[in-house]
Amino acid sequence: MPTLLNEFSLLHSNTASLPKWNALQLCLMEQARLLGIQQLSISPPVDMGSTAFVLQHPAISPIQGHYASPAGWLPNRHLSELLLQAGSGLMSVHGRASGNAQPLGVDYLSALTAAMTLHGTLAAAVGQLRGGVFHQVRISPLGCGLLSIGQYLAGATAPEDREEFQPGCSDPQLRPPFRSSDGITFELETLDSSPWRNFWTSVGIASELAGTAWKGFLLRYARAISPLPAACPMALARLRYAKIQQLAAQAGVAVVPVRSIAQRHEDMDYQQTLGAPWQFELSPTPSRKHRDIAAPPHLPLQGLRVIESCRRIQGPLAGHLLALLGAEVIRLEPPGGDPLRAMPPCAAGCSVRFDALNHLKSILEVDIKSTQGRQLVYELAREADVFLHNWAPGKAQEMQLNAEHLRRVQPHLVYAYAGGWGEAPVNAPGTDFTVQAWSGVADATATKCSTRGGSLFTVLDVLGGAVAALGVTAALLNRAVTGIGAHVESSLLGAADLLMQGSGKTSRGVLSGVYPTQSGLIAIDCQHPDQLQSLAMLLDIPPDVDTCQEPLAEHLRTRPALEWETMLNEHGIGACVVIEDLKQLATDTRIAECLGHKAYSSVNAPWSFL
Amino acid sequence: MSISVIVPTLLRPLTNGEKRVSTHGNSVAEAIDNLERQFPGIKARLVNAEQVHRFVNIYVNEDDIRFADGLNTPIKAGDSLTVLPAVAGG
Repeated sequence: MPTLLNEFSLLHSNTASLPKWNALQLCLMEQARLLGIQQLSISPPVDMGSTAFVLQHPAISPIQGHYASPAGWLPNRHLSELLLQAGSGLMSVHGRASGNAQPLGVDYLSALTAAMTLHGTLAAAVGQLRGGVFHQVRISPLGCGLLSIGQYLAGATAPEDREEFQPGCSDPQLRPPFRSSDGITFELETLDSSPWRNFWTSVGIASELAGTAWKGFLLRYARAISPLPAACPMALARLRYAKIQQLAAQAGVAVVPVRSIAQRHEDMDYQQTLGAPWQFELSPTPSRKHRDIAAPPHLPLQGLRVIESCRRIQGPLAGHLLALLGAEVIRLEPPGGDPLRAMPPCAAGCSVRFDALNHLKSILEVDIKSTQGRQLVYELAREADVFLHNWAPGKAQEMQLNAEHLRRVQPHLVYAYAGGWGEAPVNAPGTDFTVQAWSGVADATATKCSTRGGSLFTVLDVLGGAVAALGVTAALLNRAVTGIGAHVESSLLGAADLLMQGSGKTSRGVLSGVYPTQSGLIAIDCQHPDQLQSLAMLLDIPPDVDTCQEPLAEHLRTRPALEWETMLNEHGIGACVVIEDLKQLATDTRIAECLGHKAYSSVNAPWSFL
Repeated sequence: MSISVIVPTLLRPLTNGEKRVSTHGNSVAEAIDNLERQFPGIKARLVNAEQVHRFVNIYVNEDDIRFADGLNTPIKAGDSLTVLPAVAGG
């Protein structure tokens, strides 16, 4: 694999601007390394003020990176994975099917915020090389967290048919994954009702009951719940795994075991990629190298054109992020439009969930499987900078729309594929839940949350979208420097590997947890013993993590969560109200700058540029 | 008593903006044919070649007709028919 950006270097501040959030720094360094970017630390130490890092390259002016929280919200110095998961609503969405609002158990927002941080920074470099002035990028970690739940926020704030799912609203025992009589935990997956019906009939479940299970299962990625009639898991708990596999194969339903991270590490494809979520292949040097000629852009990717042919979440989110950075995104949809447009809740004639990811794009309906449609795609690609798709494996070749075909019409193209399984030999639809199971993410989450499986929040679709978009912009930056296009592949599984690499590497705080208060939940994260000491002094409780728990819990019940948040942060103790009802986000004036309000609440770009 | 039909947002332009309309029939297919007479164009949005569109789900009360007798699923006065466009995946 070529190291793409090895002439770039990232200079890290010695005085960490987010001192309580080491996992973010580690993820940032790891992702930069995987893109070939050299890492430098300053010696002797120099105080860079609020600058967290600087991106350097001989062809650009240095780009400073800053983390920025909304004024009046939590101070930057207290931000941590736990508090961001609490304050962004992520705990709430994860909690719908896991019993209560609680953390995911993996350093998710560290990986996501790192990807978004690098993305904004590399985009700024692209913008500079296209004649713009982008010397500083400011990233809102809260904005990144909010983007991760943007579709759920849209559903919760729609003008009608609003989704009102609170943490604990669905029985954590009566949801996928399932467990066999010989103790194997596994996911089932199918995108059609007939195989589902046939499978359940074959295990003795009445068709009507299978239909009830299907309704929840069908909508699980949209609602983060998948309520099942008790008879369904009970029927499978009586069968051995091999028998279930056999019946599922006969019915056309995929079965994917929930595996440990150790099992994932033994996979051949994992060992071959060494955990890199992107596979870059540089295009042959064309007779005429690409030269960016453009009017100075206001946003870093302004003037660049992306053709997107993607369904569901991962690919459209990648396109959305590129659009937020200023790219013109033309979205190809099948004749009649993407059926997701009709999925309630709707506003102004469109699914808000769909709109949240696609409102910045222009739409072109085209039958890409037809000869005429293919010719149109060639014509579009000729004038494009990026072609992004998430078709099923083999389809690009079949439709004569693979990287090579499109390179013939546009030699400088960045051709991107945001897939499911990468090179893994798994015969199942590559959806969020099957990939969580296979990659070890589900097992890690289950262990931390004492649930049977992973999250029904679309953990990997969102991170996969951010990773895919970052890969595209890294390739655009390489093209801006070298004049050469590239083919970049990423996948949900690659995103999962990246997530697991970054998780659990930093030590947990001395006291870190979610507590009930007089009204609402509060997340408290004491990363250092001196913070625990402050907490102990403030509340007159023992400064010991074990013996303080009972009196702490008692104290916390005497005031509402918001009062505790203010008081604890004033005393240097990281604390954040756990958002339980997503509608709270829409009315919190402190974070108003992060959200836009049309017919529903949408999430603004987490970047700003100077 | 008639059959009450819950119309999804995107089909409401065909039902004069109504979220809930009434129809009659002894099966889902008959109810859809009767709906078509009341609201021309609606049938094509629900079925194609006598099959329910792949991304349209129809429920009689709480039950998905794909897990009953499809368009031949019997209905009776007082039942409710819900149309829910949805795509599986994730």
